[in-house]
Amino acid sequence: MVVDDHPMWRDAVERDLATAGFEVVATASTGREAITRFAATRPDVVVLDLQIPEPDGVQVTTEVVALHPTTKVLILSASGEQNDVLAAVKAGATGYLIKSASREELLDAVRSVAAGDPVFTPGLAGLVLGEFQQSADTEVRGDKPTLTDRETEILKLVAKGLSYRQIADRLVLSHRTVQNHVQNTLRKLQMHNRVELTRYAIEQGLDAD
Amino acid sequence: MARFWISSEAGHIGTDTQIGFDARLRTVSAWASPAAIEVESSLFRALAVLRVVVLVNAIGLTAYRAGNYVSVTAAIVCGLVMIGWTAFAIWAYAAPSRRTALLVGADLAIALGLLLVTPLLKGPGFHASVPGFWVSGALLACAIHYRWVGGLLAGAALAAVDLGLREYIDQSIYGNAFLLFIGGPVVGYMCESVQRMALQRDEAERAAARAEERTRLARAVHDGVLQVLALVQRRGGELDGDAELGRLAGEQERELRALIRGEQPGRHPGAGMVDLAAALAELETGNVTVSGPASAVELPAHAAEEIVAATGAALDNVRLHVGEDARAWVLLQAFPDHVEVSVRDEGPGIPDGRLAEAERDGRLGIVGSIRGRILDLGGTAELSTGRTGTEWELIVPRRGLEKVEQR
Repeated sequence: MVVDDHPMWRDAVERDLATAGFEVVATASTGREAITRFAATRPDVVVLDLQIPEPDGVQVTTEVVALHPTTKVLILSASGEQNDVLAAVKAGATGYLIKSASREELLDAVRSVAAGDPVFTPGLAGLVLGEFQQSADTEVRGDKPTLTDRETEILKLVAKGLSYRQIADRLVLSHRTVQNHVQNTLRKLQMHNRVELTRYAIEQGLDAD
Repeated sequence: MARFWISSEAGHIGTDTQIGFDARLRTVSAWASPAAIEVESSLFRALAVLRVVVLVNAIGLTAYRAGNYVSVTAAIVCGLVMIGWTAFAIWAYAAPSRRTALLVGADLAIALGLLLVTPLLKGPGFHASVPGFWVSGALLACAIHYRWVGGLLAGAALAAVDLGLREYIDQSIYGNAFLLFIGGPVVGYMCESVQRMALQRDEAERAAARAEERTRLARAVHDGVLQVLALVQRRGGELDGDAELGRLAGEQERELRALIRGEQPGRHPGAGMVDLAAALAELETGNVTVSGPASAVELPAHAAEEIVAATGAALDNVRLHVGEDARAWVLLQAFPDHVEVSVRDEGPGIPDGRLAEAERDGRLGIVGSIRGRILDLGGTAELSTGRTGTEWELIVPRRGLEKVEQR
């Protein structure tokens, strides 16, 4: 499923995916359309723009993951919407690609995401690193997951622009292991988010009775 | 107020913040601003009502005590002067352009004049002055127009003249004079406070309108221009596309986006501080990727400038030694006690001994400038190089940066 409010983009992405042999089961231009059509068609992968008419991409990601946890969400969005990208990834998106990426990069990303492998841009890796570093200096309580040294190291290399293959070579690991580490950082970021939400709920007294 | 400017040269877009200029302007003309004048006008409208009340009071008392005057004609003339001037003053103060120093001066002079003729008209042992509380009209006009200073001076002048003319001063005479004396600055000060609040309210309303306009602009630009630019960029990268056009579209997209991002509320660091994340993001081009945390990384302006300059020099080095279109990655990491900037390229690396050789020959150029800037900030700059590329690791401690003086 392709979700983008800009018809030119929606058509371009749909055409690229179709010619590469993917089956595009639905397209949507608003958040509302996206959620109803998702429920009707249950696609394996949702290629999602963040800036769409209400509800926005972050909310759509939350809904999609809640409705069907095995569906993969690939954010295809303009760069520079850092907070939104981070929010979407925390909400459960598996990958992020900037709109200026080439057709081949898009197709690779959709294939990876469909296989459950996270797609990180250096920019996203930098954001995720920043998120863990920020919580490291504000948190004293140990109830939030933290990154292992290896995970931090790998995330740093992703942020510095190395491909998974290059990272595997440099650290003498298998490609698979590198991917698993990146996947773990995503999982921890999402858990991190849940811990924050739970704490917020407790603080606000929502857990009472 | 931020102004947008677009220079014809290379289609460059940027912002020019003119806060300093506006602040200077504000101190000069605050009392002449529409908000301040509006406050003054409403106070003068209230004063017009007060003037009528004190006029009726003064005329009534004059008529009642006409027998105290040396002649009835004198009492009638004084009454007519007060009626005439009150009518004129109400008309004159109604328009901001007529509120001149001459008008306020004449207002006060007439009030003082009526006080001064009292001993002549009512004898030296008079109890009530000719104008009585009618002088409060002139006093409050001074206070409203020249704020607490005007109120204080007018109050002092009226009280001094009133007391100076008396043969005897009893409790009630002193009490009235004292009320005039303190009433002036109190009303003046209140007028000033209300004007200040009106100015602040206007400023807040303007800021809210600007923020709203920015959001609207960002949304409109995002929905249209940026999407098309991104699409052109993408098409340009395809086999049959126009690569040059794609590159240009990419550049414009980034500049426009940086412009909108910079205008977002909540990302403006405190005085003397610079958001290093935003400053480094400006170094991004089609070949250079800049990554960093989502939140602002505030550093003292000088330190941030030096780090950006060192990063820029490292990127120049990449262009010089690896190639004009070499790819490079900048990563900013912010820790509580230090920041770390890494600049990586995938060039052939610097051959062993090249740096040492350059150092011997005294040609350290770019490398020296990067290291020098970072060392001056109390940090370290490490260069690692190999067959798979070169990487600078700039580490700067966050503590004590305020003390690093600008050279």
